[in-house]
Amino acid sequence: MKRFLITAFCTVLALPAIAQEDALRDLPGFVDFGEMNSIYGEPKVNISIGEGLLKLLFPIVKNEDPEVAAIFSRLKGVRVSVYATGGDSAAALDQVSRVKNTLSALAWSPVVQVNEEGQQVQIFMKMNGEVMDGLTLMAVDGEEAVFINVIGQLDPEELSQLMGRFDVDLEESLEFNFN
Amino acid sequence: MTEHKDQDTNMREARINALLDRELDDQQAEQLKADATADQALARAIIEAYQLQRAMEQVRVEPAPASLRRKLKRIPRDSRPAYLQPRWVAAFAAIPLAVLGLVLLQPSAPPAGQIRQAEIEQAQRDLAVAFAYIDQVGNLAGKQIETQLVDEMSDAVAGSIFRTVQHQKIL
Repeated sequence: MKRFLITAFCTVLALPAIAQEDALRDLPGFVDFGEMNSIYGEPKVNISIGEGLLKLLFPIVKNEDPEVAAIFSRLKGVRVSVYATGGDSAAALDQVSRVKNTLSALAWSPVVQVNEEGQQVQIFMKMNGEVMDGLTLMAVDGEEAVFINVIGQLDPEELSQLMGRFDVDLEESLEFNFN
Repeated sequence: MTEHKDQDTNMREARINALLDRELDDQQAEQLKADATADQALARAIIEAYQLQRAMEQVRVEPAPASLRRKLKRIPRDSRPAYLQPRWVAAFAAIPLAVLGLVLLQPSAPPAGQIRQAEIEQAQRDLAVAFAYIDQVGNLAGKQIETQLVDEMSDAVAGSIFRTVQHQKIL
């Protein structure tokens, strides 16, 4: 009985995070990067911000910069997974190839494709007229495999405006300035 | 692998149950405390178990409605389905009260406003980290493209000079 209650309680706690990711899956800009935890363990960075959390941030952005707020309101989700490959990037490179093929089949437009020995950078956009429904960035080098998916109806130039509002040193990723 | 994980989970739950039932000796309790310090998931499970136990102690078992009691009395005890045994009826009635009790009886839980503020701050940090990685990947792509272009242009320029020199030599 005790075990049942503890399990039920933990399941209820996990539901909102799962629901947030599930809600993004139906959007045209969403990309499924597949599963890599079984190869590289838990990702060292795992971010999934859905519409719900972005709406919480909107009043702050609007207060600081109304122009950026208009762009921010069209952002639907941001997902980042960063795995430490420990020098063994073969599996990550395979995964990037698989996702690349899937994106090409789904009419995502390749923007940057850089292939070097043991390194890859792939950037794709899902265009919808003159705006994009989604942006995907994948980068693998000797130490890390980075998978990023930005979902929302944005002009690519607007994304750099949004990024300009944040300033963070990745080496000390606990600190940030929100100007 | 799955079997091993199930065994680990069973062992963990057994230790937590023993802790709650005060069945651990001092050494075992110290060991569990040390393990919880190193393992956040274990620490969280212990805290949740204590909170649940506290809530269960506060729960008042709701008596079954009179109409249900009359129906139960008419059924000979031995032939009742398991779920209609009085202890299970009381248990099922206690579950929503236990959950409600857990939510209401959280003396150390921060107010909803504080939780919301913490979520907002975490989302800001996460967004900043996400954009920093986008910037980093963009810079990496730019550098690699630049390197390739420089290499190709160097080859093109070197090739052109070589052909010019060769041409002049021939002349």
